[in-house]
Amino acid sequence: MSSRLALFAALIAFSAAAPAQEIEVLDEGFVWDLPDWLPAPPVPDDNPMNAAKVQLGRHLFFDARLSADGSMACSTCHEPSLAFNDGRAFSDGVGGARGHRNAQGLANVGYSPMLTWANPVLRSLEVHALTPLFGDAPVEMGNIGQEQALFARLRADARYRDLFGEAFAERDGEISLFTLTRALAAFQRTLVSADSPYDRYKYGGDGDALSAAARRGEELFFSEKAECYHCHQGFNFTDTFATSRSGFAESAFHNTGLYNVDGAGAYPAIDQGLYQVSTEPRDRGRFRTPSLRNLAWSAPYFHDGSADTLDEVLDHYAAGGRHIGDGPNAGNGARNPLKNPLVLGIRFSGTERGDLLAFLGSLDDPGFVANPAFADPWPGGHPAVVQRRQASPFGSPAAAAAPDRTALLPSLVAACLFLLSVVALLRARAAMPPTDDPFSHSDPLS
Amino acid sequence: MNSSFRSRAASLAPLLLSAFGAAMLPAPVSAADPVPLSLNFAAEIAGQPFACGQRYANLGRTDAEIAFADFRLFVSEVALLAADGRRVPMTLDDDGRWQDGQVALLDFEDATDRCDNGTPPTNAQVSGSLPAGDYTGVEFVIGVPFDSNHGDPTLAASPLNLTSMFWNWRGGYRFLKIDMVAAEAGADADAGHGGAGHGDAMGDGHGAAAGGGHAGGHGNASAGAWMLHLGSTGCESPSRTSAPSQACAQPNRVTVTFNDFDAGQDVIVIDPAALLADSDLGSNAPDTSPGCMSFPGDPDCASVLPKAGLAYGDMAGGEQQLATVRRDAQ
Repeated sequence: MSSRLALFAALIAFSAAAPAQEIEVLDEGFVWDLPDWLPAPPVPDDNPMNAAKVQLGRHLFFDARLSADGSMACSTCHEPSLAFNDGRAFSDGVGGARGHRNAQGLANVGYSPMLTWANPVLRSLEVHALTPLFGDAPVEMGNIGQEQALFARLRADARYRDLFGEAFAERDGEISLFTLTRALAAFQRTLVSADSPYDRYKYGGDGDALSAAARRGEELFFSEKAECYHCHQGFNFTDTFATSRSGFAESAFHNTGLYNVDGAGAYPAIDQGLYQVSTEPRDRGRFRTPSLRNLAWSAPYFHDGSADTLDEVLDHYAAGGRHIGDGPNAGNGARNPLKNPLVLGIRFSGTERGDLLAFLGSLDDPGFVANPAFADPWPGGHPAVVQRRQASPFGSPAAAAAPDRTALLPSLVAACLFLLSVVALLRARAAMPPTDDPFSHSDPLS
Repeated sequence: MNSSFRSRAASLAPLLLSAFGAAMLPAPVSAADPVPLSLNFAAEIAGQPFACGQRYANLGRTDAEIAFADFRLFVSEVALLAADGRRVPMTLDDDGRWQDGQVALLDFEDATDRCDNGTPPTNAQVSGSLPAGDYTGVEFVIGVPFDSNHGDPTLAASPLNLTSMFWNWRGGYRFLKIDMVAAEAGADADAGHGGAGHGDAMGDGHGAAAGGGHAGGHGNASAGAWMLHLGSTGCESPSRTSAPSQACAQPNRVTVTFNDFDAGQDVIVIDPAALLADSDLGSNAPDTSPGCMSFPGDPDCASVLPKAGLAYGDMAGGEQQLATVRRDAQ
């Protein structure tokens, strides 16, 4: 793991030396912050991008008044310093309601034509926002039936009257399901992670951006020996992907043999993946391929957070499926009849395993994690945040159980970068004269 | 049917036409001109009028005492059945609130007591119009038509923008939402709230949905809440990439037909007690949704959906027992 330590040191160095990115102009003059090789994410016709809408969405994203009891914002489960993950296997909703899926990171979520772990009917960020806001099985932010109370809470804040007014002038700044979900989606489409060492190496022409180990790991990743790339493919390392230039929105679901509780392919009844929506028995255990970007911050892994470390994940693929000896989920996933046939098992040497981890580490993007444009815009003590729960990278069982201290390092790096950015923000804010301009607090960041 | 009760739209029509039409319309009135009509509904629990938070005894196979926290349903595809056998569709009004021209929301909760996630106004009527005629029966669907069920709810007009009826992760609406809480959980909640609620400001704003803190169960196996939700499952198989042309595998729309029906006098009673007759409302099958949320493979649904006239698993749908007609005594 010493190579991993060196790698993270290198990441910080690269981050500091990051060149100015190219920009692309689309949609009402909106300026995407993208490298020139990357097309923008698709944008629905009814939600064109504009800067005011993104700023509104950012305020909403971090605002705990979006939950019924003021305890949760979107950021509670999608924390910037954790690459918009929460470090937990499962996330709790308001009132202690228990979820049963691992919150996913939001890096490049705008490029995902389907949302959540396994839902072919959730095709836009706009509609997806309704699930955490209003869902009741499981309860997340707990607003079911309380949309008018939610709108009233937002309307009571003068800042929102300005923000909605600017973002949705054509609708007279109305605060509604439409504008709320559009603004949240617009902000999330800006969450692009495309400046990892691998991006610089692969797309940016920087041949020195990857270590020798990471380059060997790349070879292995894209080989027929490891077979990783069939599902984890393309810019975002997933086969559910679309850009603004795509003619088709591709999506795919796979059973990777994590479970086989009845010997006939079943996953634990609490979550059988795509089957829960399609009700096709062959869809049991099929989940959307997650991106492999920013894995340093996304532990624990898999749809149910059932692997604490990347080593455990590699063990699973090395065995061609996970064998669970006892307990309610006992079974040999390698013999799951519904398993994707490419999950065959891989014979790694110790060096190869290290190489693969080095390659996966090269997909971590500290600049994304510390990007001030994605940071909490609310001042401390504001009603938007005063009761807000934070995801804790160190309080999660997964982090506590991780035997390898280096697994905590990326979180430490992220936390430090985040703190530095917060300090910078506070200093910048302190230097600003008081003003009623709703964007004054975010100007130093943009 | 007793033909003496045939008042109906047919007999209403000439009255209206002579009173207003002849005086106001220069053109001769055709028999095909639509006349207004309303269908009256009522919500009951085992024959007793539904009320939020009220306890009802002897429900289900364990004779449980249960309180209710919600009672709403969508009605669509309404038609009257003519004496000559024709099925004549009724055009629903668009009132901007309860009906959008295609779908009507029947809402029997009034946001009091355990229904604190609800809305104060109630609606027990479906209103529309149809050509005058001699009608002897009625037919309607409890559900939202496929074409309206999978649109963007943030763009939908009322009543299809009520978050209580969203069924987000399954892509559609709850067609029927009847939420129950064990009576003792209801008692705790009453004591805690000191009456009708400010639940919207609290963590238990989802009330019955979570069962949550009151019932002591954070898991979804909580015995505190038992919910009966009907909605489509098995939607949009991923094998079809071009989206919403494909019907869901289990649409779960309940078609209700009464061949002997007089809109002028009859009330259509929605009562879930018969559907729940073989259910243990004090428990929930492990690792399944609390109560019956229409999902295949949930033992809590096995005895319920067939009694709503819906096929479930290997079982064929029987006669629907959710709706009955009652002719009010004159």
